[in-house]
Amino acid sequence: MAQADLLNLTIAQAAPRLERRELSPVELTEAVLQRIGAVNATLNAYITVCAPQAREVAQATERMIRAGYYLGPLHGIPIALKDNIYTRGVRTTAGAKILADFVPDEDATVAARLKRAGAIVVGKTNMHEFAWGGTTDNPHYGTCRNPWNPERFPAGSSGGSGAAVAARTCLGALGTDTGGSIRLPSSVNGIVGIRPTIGRVSNHNVVPLAWTMDTVSPMTRTVEDCVTMFEVIAGYDPLDPQSAEVPLADCRAGLGRGVRGLRIGLIRDYSLTHLQKAVGDAVRGALKTLEGLGAGVEEIAMPSIHGNISAQLTIESCEPSAYHQEWLRTRPGDYGEDVRTLLEMGEMYLATHYIQAQRYRSLLRREFLEGFRQVDVFVTPTLPFTATPCGATEVVIENNQTEDMLSAIMQFTGVPSLAGLPALSLPVGFDPDGLPVGMQVIGRPFDEATLFRLGHAYQGVTSWHTKSPRL
Amino acid sequence: MKKEAPVTRETVERLCVLADLPLPPARRDKLVAPLSGLIAAANELSRKIAEGARRGVLPVTRFPGREEA
Repeated sequence: MAQADLLNLTIAQAAPRLERRELSPVELTEAVLQRIGAVNATLNAYITVCAPQAREVAQATERMIRAGYYLGPLHGIPIALKDNIYTRGVRTTAGAKILADFVPDEDATVAARLKRAGAIVVGKTNMHEFAWGGTTDNPHYGTCRNPWNPERFPAGSSGGSGAAVAARTCLGALGTDTGGSIRLPSSVNGIVGIRPTIGRVSNHNVVPLAWTMDTVSPMTRTVEDCVTMFEVIAGYDPLDPQSAEVPLADCRAGLGRGVRGLRIGLIRDYSLTHLQKAVGDAVRGALKTLEGLGAGVEEIAMPSIHGNISAQLTIESCEPSAYHQEWLRTRPGDYGEDVRTLLEMGEMYLATHYIQAQRYRSLLRREFLEGFRQVDVFVTPTLPFTATPCGATEVVIENNQTEDMLSAIMQFTGVPSLAGLPALSLPVGFDPDGLPVGMQVIGRPFDEATLFRLGHAYQGVTSWHTKSPRL
Repeated sequence: MKKEAPVTRETVERLCVLADLPLPPARRDKLVAPLSGLIAAANELSRKIAEGARRGVLPVTRFPGREEA
């Protein structure tokens, strides 16, 4: 198979070929490693490439499969891990100078589960320093770039994972999401990413950002591939005190059910408000497609929705500042300027600010649960804009008004994070400059299955997810 | 309630003392403008959530289901 064809295989396409021994895991891994070598100098998607280890595992995998021991659909699949996910024997920097030499002696639970399923870790991806930011403009490991246009950002904080998947340098990746850090790079890189319900996927041995909002989850080109990775990493973990003892639904069973009768909610004065035109057009187009498949769309009022940015910033400032308190005093100069400033400011909120923000979350969640009596999912764009130039700290969304990047970027993604709900980002088109647009679908607690069902149905009749950047 | 006072250099200085965060003067000055906006927004949210009708709303905190070993 030609290298380009190999790299365009999805997990769903590669797996049966690997199982039937029509495709060698050594050949697939080598193609991926060569692709990394060809594009990483441009994209800076990887901090560490695990070439020798990946080759060794690929060879062992080949022997294993030839001997008749096939572990399942991730066996022999090259994947990447965001660099805040502990990977045994591999440096795990969290995008930070402070952890530049940290080599964990055990895996994160999610890494261990992927390895046990036979996945081959090809590298650790670049990220916004300590996950506290949304651009992956990393002062220590270099600016990560968007494969659709390397002058544009890949968003963040899982920007490296987003760029890596889109650029065909792995068949899937893990990211982490606190206020949007899987969904934002999924949107601007034209791939699929899911933020799970808090507690659905273990955070054990993942460097935290904000304890009450952190999650880990896959980023892939297709919804079906996302399900494949999700099924392996999700589920109760006794090592994570926040892990939910809630049985995992069969997410694959619902994939072929379509969306007939599914009720989609748009939040009044919010879901389709304050957007770049191309984003609005793409999301409205996606809703029309879903209506054509039999889904219904209705508007739901959510009076408390507009407090979300302040609550997000308060919680996402205070909790990281608590985690970083010691380093901020002993190694302040080792932080990048943006993260250092955010951490300093996070020490200056009052306790009552933080508590009121946590009370706001209860209120917001209550309104969503009330809304779920009428609809099955809510939809918004993932981002109100497409990828901005690298290094930009402000963005224009509409009316030529510039806005601060951090608040603008979490306009929609902060909401499910605050309300403790799962949310999927799905590619739904491109802007006139060829930059991807993402749509966010928000579900009931622990109902990732419905999100996957909707996303898979949508991808069954559209081809946005099959497009590939010309890099 | 009196009009919102901006965060000043002196405010940041006092907060640094309270937080035991010895920032040099240049860094303190840098925080005044962004902190003003953030604190003003946090105060506005706090006012809304503190309203009497919402007294029964609990914060999102919980004990873990199991204790760590």
